[in-house]
Amino acid sequence: MSGAAQIVFEGVGHSYVPPRGRRVQALLDISLQIAHGEFMALLGPSGCGKSTLLYLLGGFVRLTQGAILVDGRPVSGPGPDRGVVFQSFALFPWKTVRQNIRYGLERLGLPRAEQEERAQHFIDMVHLTGFENSYPSQLSGGMRQRVAIARTLAVRPAILLMDEPFGALDAQTREIMHEELLAIMRAQRMTTLFVTHDVREAVYLADRVAVMSARPGRIKEVVPIALGERTGPEVMKSPAFADYVEQLWNLVKTEAAQAVAGSR
Amino acid sequence: MARLILNPLRETGSILAVVLAWYWASATHLVTDFLLPTPLSVIQRIGADAMSGDLPAALERTIGAALAGFAIAGVVGTALGIAMARVRAVRWFFDPLISIGFPMPKIAFLPIFLLWLGPTIAAEITIVAFTVLFPVATAAEAGAEGIETVMLWSARSLGAREGQMLWQIVLPAITPQLLTGLQIALPIALITAIVAEMLTGSDGVGGAMLAAMRFADSPGVFAGIIEIAVLGYGLVKMMEWLRAALLRWHSETAAW
Repeated sequence: MSGAAQIVFEGVGHSYVPPRGRRVQALLDISLQIAHGEFMALLGPSGCGKSTLLYLLGGFVRLTQGAILVDGRPVSGPGPDRGVVFQSFALFPWKTVRQNIRYGLERLGLPRAEQEERAQHFIDMVHLTGFENSYPSQLSGGMRQRVAIARTLAVRPAILLMDEPFGALDAQTREIMHEELLAIMRAQRMTTLFVTHDVREAVYLADRVAVMSARPGRIKEVVPIALGERTGPEVMKSPAFADYVEQLWNLVKTEAAQAVAGSR
Repeated sequence: MARLILNPLRETGSILAVVLAWYWASATHLVTDFLLPTPLSVIQRIGADAMSGDLPAALERTIGAALAGFAIAGVVGTALGIAMARVRAVRWFFDPLISIGFPMPKIAFLPIFLLWLGPTIAAEITIVAFTVLFPVATAAEAGAEGIETVMLWSARSLGAREGQMLWQIVLPAITPQLLTGLQIALPIALITAIVAEMLTGSDGVGGAMLAAMRFADSPGVFAGIIEIAVLGYGLVKMMEWLRAALLRWHSETAAW
C-alpha cells in the first residue's frame, strides 16, 4: 500500500443503449486510486457495473466519460502491461496447455528457448506439471483457470485484472485457488484489481475493498483491510475477519436489495 | 473372432441385401436385362471402362470440377461468413441475399453461366462454387458469431495485433463449425457437378451416364450410379478423416 498511485480513475462514467430501450447509465462519476503493488477488490451486487469498470481499465471497452490513467498515461486499448483473467477462462481450446501459455510469449517475440523455459516455469508454478500437452477440454474447471492465470502471468504484466476469476468454480476448488493466488502474490507482487461479489473472498484477498452501489454504479465506500500477511485460511476464523465481513456485508446488502428490486 | 465377421456384416448388411435382391431379380429374369442388367455385367462394364481409360478421364473431369468449385467456395465462403459476422455493412448487404438464395435451387442459374462461359468446365466449376458458397458462408458466419468476446479480448491483451487476430484466433476458433459446413458442402459439390454434366452433356461421369442412356446402354447407366456412389462415399470419408485430424483438441474427439 505504499508508493504513488499506479492506477487512477477520475470521474469515470459509462452508458450504453440496449438493443431495445433507452440509454442506461451503468457507471457514474467513479474516482479511485490504486497504489503500486496494492490488491484492490471491487465488491458489488450483480449488474452494478464492476466488470465494466475492469473492462474500461483493460481497454476492451472505449472510455467516453472521465479519465483512466496507468502510470500517468491514459488507457488506449488492451495491452500486455495489464494482464486479464476472466471468469470463463477464455482459453484457446485448440491449443495445448503449453501452447496457451506460450501465446503471449510468442507475441512478445521472445527467443524460442526462453519461451519454453518461461512457459514451463509458470506451468510448474500453477501445479500443472504433467499436463503440458493436454487440451483445455481435457481439464477440470480449476485446472483451466490455472492455465488462464499462468498464461496471463507469463507475460509478466505490471497490473493484474481479475474478473470474478473463481466464480465458476466449486467451493473447495475456490479455496485452493485463493491459497495459490496468495502464494503467487507473495512471490511476484502485482497491482491487482479483483472484481467479485463474494464478501469473504474480498476480505480474505484484498488490501482494500471498494464497495460499489447498485446501478448507476458508484464507489460507495473504500474499506482498508488490516489483517496483515495472509499466511493461511486460519485468519478467516479471527474476530477481526468476521468484523470486516459484517461491515462489508452491511454495505453491500442494501445495494443488493436495491439491485434485485430494480431488476423487477 | 466372431465380432470381426459380424460387425462389418451388421454395418453393411442392408447394402448387401439390396445387391442380393438386385442379383436375384436379374438372374431369375424377373425383369429384362435392359431394365435391370445383372450386377456382373455392370461390374464388367466398369472394369472395361477403367481399362480403356474412359472411366479415369470421366472421373478426373467430375472430381476436378467438383473439387475446384468446392475449393473456391471454401475460401470465398469462409471469408464472406467471417466478414458478415464482424462487419456490419457486409452483414447488411449479404444477409438478405443469403437468406433468399439458400433455399433456392442454385442449379437454375446454370443456363446463365452457360450463356456467359459456354459449355465449358469453367461453367461447371462456377455453378458448383455458387451452389456450395451458401452452406460454407452460413457455417463460417455462425462460427464467427459464436466466438466468445472474452477470448478475443484475451488474445488482444496478450499482445495480438488486429492483423494477427484473423489467422491466429478467429480461423482456428471457427474450425469446428466451418468443417461441419464443408462436410455438408462436399457432397452437394459432387451432386451439382454431376447434374451440370448431365444438363450440358459434357464429359465426366454425369455426361457419360447421359450418353449411355441415349444409346439405350443400360449397363453404362448403372455403372455410372455405382461409380458416383463409391466416389461420394470416398469423399465423405475423406472429410471425416480430415475433421478428426484437425479437431484433435475438440471435446468431440478428445480421448478421456
